[in-house]
Amino acid sequence: MTRGLWNRETVALMLIAAYLPLALFWLWSGGADAVARLGLAALVIGVWHLVFMLARAQAPSLAALVSALAIAMLAPEELGVLRMVLGISFGVVMGELVFGGWGRNVVNPATIALSFLGFGFPAFDWPVFDPQVAWAAIPAIVIGVATGVMPGALFAGAILTGLVAYAGGVLGGPVILMAGIVLVLLVADPVTSAATTLGRWIHGALYTALVALFASGWAGAAPVQIAVAAALLASLAAPLLDEAALAIWLAKRRRRHGRT
Amino acid sequence: MARTIDYRKILTEPLIRQNPVTLQILGICSALAVTTTLATAVTMSVSLTVVLTLSAGVISMIRRHIPDTIRLIVQIVIVASLVIVIDQLLQAYFAEISRALSVYVGLITTNCLVLGRTEAFARHNAPGPAMVDAFGNGLGYSLILIIIGGLRELFGKGELFGVQVLPLADAGGWFTPLSLMLLAPSAFFLLGLLVWAIRSLLPEQAEAPEHVPPLRAEPAE
Repeated sequence: MTRGLWNRETVALMLIAAYLPLALFWLWSGGADAVARLGLAALVIGVWHLVFMLARAQAPSLAALVSALAIAMLAPEELGVLRMVLGISFGVVMGELVFGGWGRNVVNPATIALSFLGFGFPAFDWPVFDPQVAWAAIPAIVIGVATGVMPGALFAGAILTGLVAYAGGVLGGPVILMAGIVLVLLVADPVTSAATTLGRWIHGALYTALVALFASGWAGAAPVQIAVAAALLASLAAPLLDEAALAIWLAKRRRRHGRT
Repeated sequence: MARTIDYRKILTEPLIRQNPVTLQILGICSALAVTTTLATAVTMSVSLTVVLTLSAGVISMIRRHIPDTIRLIVQIVIVASLVIVIDQLLQAYFAEISRALSVYVGLITTNCLVLGRTEAFARHNAPGPAMVDAFGNGLGYSLILIIIGGLRELFGKGELFGVQVLPLADAGGWFTPLSLMLLAPSAFFLLGLLVWAIRSLLPEQAEAPEHVPPLRAEPAE
């Protein structure tokens, strides 16, 4: 126990605990269909984790369940088993496992899988959630931030920008609900979101700003599609934001203490 | 000049083991841009192989007369003249494919694969081996282009050379085209997967890791 209680799997368990309210509300409103989707996603991701454990000795992670929940909730509907398996495999292998497993990935595997499905099969409809499912994202945020597995600064930046955009009339009701769910499920991932406090503020703000931009300029896009695209672009920018935050910190230090 | 030249080795080495695209990652700009259909990929491969072989021959023939200081200009002039000839031929006989390839035939001039081979091999070797080496590299490039072009056309449209292979769902079949395959990112995915597959089979191609993961402090549970 040189590192204490907090290792990778503890973080994954805490994330699962944070997502439980959201998952339960979604399963309750979705019924058997939702259970089947979640089961399929978890099965495919589990098989890939197993394959990589056997082939490259990468320890499987409980975070597979988090990815499975995000993909099952947000993937386009009526895709059929074959396409779901293809999209999930692509996202999990190319987004996470080739980098060495959960914790070393640069982008969220669920975001990659959803973008793949969205761009690959544009003919299918994106899901629409009841408002109470979106409200269940709030306890998820509270548990995640309270246990420290989700970045609080990211939510602060996102919500602040969201309020400004709402007051300015750029963001409407349905987009806000979907953007909130995607914010919790995809953007607030502790691995792939920005890692510095300043970076997190900007990451959250950037996500909401992109959602607002797409909502006002992308004709014919579903709210979930808008939010997933914004999450993908924002997560690609996250390392750059961290780099900028570190550069600012170093410059400040150099100004105060001379050459360090 | 007593040493014998192993033409067979020069020809076959660039196919997989020293493949210019997957090992040296040269010429991928055109490789990714023209592979939406198999027809354009094959045309591009043939054009590039012809230009590469002929330019290597010409440059190798005058290699003792090119001043070192202006050698790049001379090489580009030779390559560019050949490219113009090929481009005119394509426009004359394959107008449709020429339109699909648009600017990329012209860009063979600056393809790093062509300059790389003339600079690295043709400048120091006799015309025979130089042309064989250029031809082999052209074939290696063509191999990758045809694999990626074939996969993209097959899964993006269900066709090969414009002939329907997989029955489309719209027409009563079972195949729904994966339209992502026709977009540029899929070429990157496919090339990446191909490089991964080749380097798994031939581990000596893999690059040395840049970082060493830290040793685990605690024993594995």
